Amino acid sequence: MKNITIYCCLLFAAMACTDSEEMEYEIYLVNGESLYKQNCANCHGEKGEGLRNLYPPLKDNEHLKNTEHVICIIKNGASGEVSVNGQVYDQAMPANPKLFNLDIAQLATYLNKEFLESDVKVETSEVLKALNNCK
Amino acid sequence: MSKKIWLFGFVLFSIISCQIKEASLPVLGRTTLDENGKEVPHEVPSFSFTNQYGETVTNADLDGKIYVTDFFFTSCPTICPVMKSQMLRVYEHFMENESLAILSHTIDPYHDSVTVLADYAAALGVTGRQWQFVTGNQDEIYEIAEKSYMVPAAEDTLTAMETGGFVHSGAFILVDRERHIRGIYDGTEEKQVNQLIKDIELLLKEED
Repeated sequence: MKNITIYCCLLFAAMACTDSEEMEYEIYLVNGESLYKQNCANCHGEKGEGLRNLYPPLKDNEHLKNTEHVICIIKNGASGEVSVNGQVYDQAMPANPKLFNLDIAQLATYLNKEFLESDVKVETSEVLKALNNCK
Repeated sequence: MSKKIWLFGFVLFSIISCQIKEASLPVLGRTTLDENGKEVPHEVPSFSFTNQYGETVTNADLDGKIYVTDFFFTSCPTICPVMKSQMLRVYEHFMENESLAILSHTIDPYHDSVTVLADYAAALGVTGRQWQFVTGNQDEIYEIAEKSYMVPAAEDTLTAMETGGFVHSGAFILVDRERHIRGIYDGTEEKQVNQLIKDIELLLKEED
């Protein structure tokens, strides 16, 4: 009987653990999507398609693989020419100083999932570290 | 019997009057009276701006054309990109039609020089003179926006961080060959832009 109780406890703990992690990931994606729509979609498009040769697409954009760089330009903006899939874009990206590190983590997690088909979750600690090393 | 005819006649009349109503666009804006007491509809006054090629564009250049106009600025982080992707739909739909012009005014003429506008137009894939991006005297642009096209345009010093420094409307304004305003649409809404495209077609027919 005692064994069963322990077993149940362990099972519950294990389930709760995976559940809460998965749930947090889901929350990141949902919030990330909402942040994307508010802050990014106007220029980069609802589906990351970009706008002609004015704003670069995010879909299949190699630059997204560099998460530290993504974090830095979300927070600080970017200017100057950038080449994406052979096309040069030269429109400044505005800074988003109002976004918290958690917002950026959720946004970057969403970008990974949506445009790189990667399930890698970006943690707030990574955002903090990246922001301290922005060029 | 005569009752039925009356009823039939009434229904027919309603259908016809409905169709007539649908088939013409209203003339918007406040009408004024001239010295003879005749009503004069609101009309866009003469203007002179500079386009993306550095050429002067005046109302005379748009004579005999219907045009759609809007207000934007190239560094706008909010609604302008959406407006521009919707305006591209209008541009591409009427590409071969010389009776339709598009006039986009910058409300940030200090930044949006002729060169900046030329690069912006080129990046959008806009060539030729059907869609002109114009700059000019800031006060004149704000005045024509508010007094003539009936949409707000102003500098924004309070929430500059979010708006990019300017307040403006996302409206697309439809102007006919007589310089009367025939419709105002939300240029950020796909459905309203669909309506605009239909209304342009209607207006082109009306004025042929």
